[in-house]
Amino acid sequence: MRKLHFELSGASAIAEMHDDVVPKTCDAVWDILPVEGMSIHANWASREIMLHLAGEKILRLPPEGPPRHGAIAPGDIVYFWRSPQMSQGKQLAYSSEFQRELSEFAIFYGEPSGGGLNAQDPTRGAGADLEVTTLFATFIDLPSEFTDRCEEIRHNGLKKLIVKRLET
Amino acid sequence: MTRVKITLGSAEALAELDVEGAPKTTSWLKTVLPVEAQAIHSMENGREVYALIDDPQQVPEENQTIYQCVGDLVVYYKPAIFVKPTWPRHVRSFLVVGFIYERQSAIRGMSGPLATNLVGKITEGIDALAHEAPRMRREGFGEIGISLV
Repeated sequence: MRKLHFELSGASAIAEMHDDVVPKTCDAVWDILPVEGMSIHANWASREIMLHLAGEKILRLPPEGPPRHGAIAPGDIVYFWRSPQMSQGKQLAYSSEFQRELSEFAIFYGEPSGGGLNAQDPTRGAGADLEVTTLFATFIDLPSEFTDRCEEIRHNGLKKLIVKRLET
Repeated sequence: MTRVKITLGSAEALAELDVEGAPKTTSWLKTVLPVEAQAIHSMENGREVYALIDDPQQVPEENQTIYQCVGDLVVYYKPAIFVKPTWPRHVRSFLVVGFIYERQSAIRGMSGPLATNLVGKITEGIDALAHEAPRMRREGFGEIGISLV
């Protein structure tokens, strides 16, 4: 399995891609690496930070793999795409280009993951033309230093996140 | 009419307390005001900002709703896991006072909607809060202040 390296304000974590389950999504993600940007904390899905994909890095992928019925576990890394017609109100905390269509890596770093309002969002499973959520990687080395940096985003604001291929 | 001033960063707002609907909770709130605390943004409820209230008094369930609206000022016990990644294991909830500043929000517990004491309504300045809170999500959260007018 291919591996990914995450760097967040000097802290690192390593994830393994699910090449055997969602190979097309993994290929698409692999092809745009490295990606970097300012990550923001979730406000619906609990302990999640998001890295919005911008410009030529934006991905618009079809769904792949088994349906997950909204189940999320700490350490999951999800490709998420939301149609412009599924705007969830004003997104003033996001850069202007993400206030409608959204393409991102959703990075779940702790408990609870995916709980709260997100778990009861009726748009989950609404259709691939509206929203795509594909679990494509899971952390295999997630140090507390990295999760601490994630939590700090919630309180201290955006932090730079870099996602790279981990070549072996 | 009893009013409170809410400050969040550079934003100010006024709320009217629902003394008639929530007499016990508004009385309790007056005993802990003024509040100057670290503002925390919800990570599970949408557009909610709250402050932890360190007070041993038990706030009774009163004037409760699971259908929170923009501008609602609410008091409730938030599940600890939504507040801190680690916490004293005998603690399962924290007493908070918070407000909803934008739609797409609803207070949730671990397994569904969470009833909250509705103690007041923001009558002035909701737009200022709705701009300041997202700015703080990007740049970092400062203090929230709540005081009697």
